[in-house]
Amino acid sequence: MGLFGLYRERHTPLHRAPAWAKMLGLVLAAAWLAWCTVPAWSVASALVAIALLASTLPPLGPTLRGVVPVLVIAAATGAYQLWQGDARLAVDLAADFVSLICLSLAVTTSTPLDESMGLVSAAARPLRRWIPPEALALVFSLTIRALPELTRILAESRDAARSRGLDRSPRAMLIPAGVRTVGYALAVGDAITARGLADEAVSVSRRGPVRR
Amino acid sequence: MIEFQDASVVAPGTTVRILEPTTLTLAERRVAIIGANGSGKSTLARLINGLVLPSTGSVTVDGRDTRRDAAAVRRSVGFLFTDPSAQLIMPTAAEDVALSLRRTVKGKGERASAALAALESIGLGDKGSVSVHALSGGQRQLLALAGVLAVGPSIIVADEPTTLLDLRWRAHVDALLAGLDQQVIEVTHDLDAASRADRVIVMESGSVAFDGKPRAAVAAYRRLMAGT
Repeated sequence: MGLFGLYRERHTPLHRAPAWAKMLGLVLAAAWLAWCTVPAWSVASALVAIALLASTLPPLGPTLRGVVPVLVIAAATGAYQLWQGDARLAVDLAADFVSLICLSLAVTTSTPLDESMGLVSAAARPLRRWIPPEALALVFSLTIRALPELTRILAESRDAARSRGLDRSPRAMLIPAGVRTVGYALAVGDAITARGLADEAVSVSRRGPVRR
Repeated sequence: MIEFQDASVVAPGTTVRILEPTTLTLAERRVAIIGANGSGKSTLARLINGLVLPSTGSVTVDGRDTRRDAAAVRRSVGFLFTDPSAQLIMPTAAEDVALSLRRTVKGKGERASAALAALESIGLGDKGSVSVHALSGGQRQLLALAGVLAVGPSIIVADEPTTLLDLRWRAHVDALLAGLDQQVIEVTHDLDAASRADRVIVMESGSVAFDGKPRAAVAAYRRLMAGT
């Protein structure tokens, strides 16, 4: 499943906060982390980020599965800088990695995709003469939805190549994966059309949502 | 009522006819479409909600042409696919049903309540916040059905909705489809399910090979498959 689809309904302060405020906070935090190079402040930021993530009461298993690979990258980056003799940069970089992933997860676990779609749609409204905002929001949610599917397709293609003894052949994995990805895209396109979402994205953008 | 008037389909960019000119009127509450793989069953089903447009002739649903009035047709014809995974777009069950309701229900809270009600109506009331990846194949198919039913279509077209399911889930989905108020057009390889329909259409090589009552249609299909 990866880092997406982690949202759970809870009653925490971050769940109650509007999506735009959380997104704005995330952008400002990223800017602060890029600007601040004092290791003590970076570590403090990481601790705050971890606390914020914990405050959203995320599902433990899926969250850990998503966080661990990023922690490994953070540790490797820090270790490399340490080996280069720059302990300050090592701590700063590793702490910034942890901060960013925890803050991003705090937003993901406390914001339903529906709200994020609304935010994307609202943000795209000034561009509505060229791009239908609802269509852009749909593309946003489809992109997020497609990531775990593509990971699954790649894993299955790799297993199929292995089962044929073609472990070392990139072609044996990438060609079936490419074909299946196109097949998946066509199936999703059909499903979107069948659900009327494509018609809707264009018409809603032109008229605004229908009130019942 | 669904009407095919000399509707044929040619594969895009070729001269290969996937569906020969077909004239049919489907007014029965339960219609099953059976036939060999590649016989044109799914094409016939996809014509009903405009997923496929006829190369010649026309298809109308309650008087609306699928070519000229595609959006309105799709609002009244829900479509259930064989593999629900491609049909589910949002991360959680409730969010996915809510997505279907975005056009008609503006309020977020109202939409969430309507989505939950739709999930409860098909027995997934406790799965609202569950990731769609964590659902079983049968539950995903039910969720896809909930997303379709949430917008209140008058017709459901189901393209082999139970092919990927085990026996228990197959029976469950069959029972749910049988209990719907809507007209249901089901493409199936399950001859038991076809036998419960009011009318069965047997497809062969892009044409209607038999059209009639289930018992006679299933017998005709068996003869076709036996090559006699």
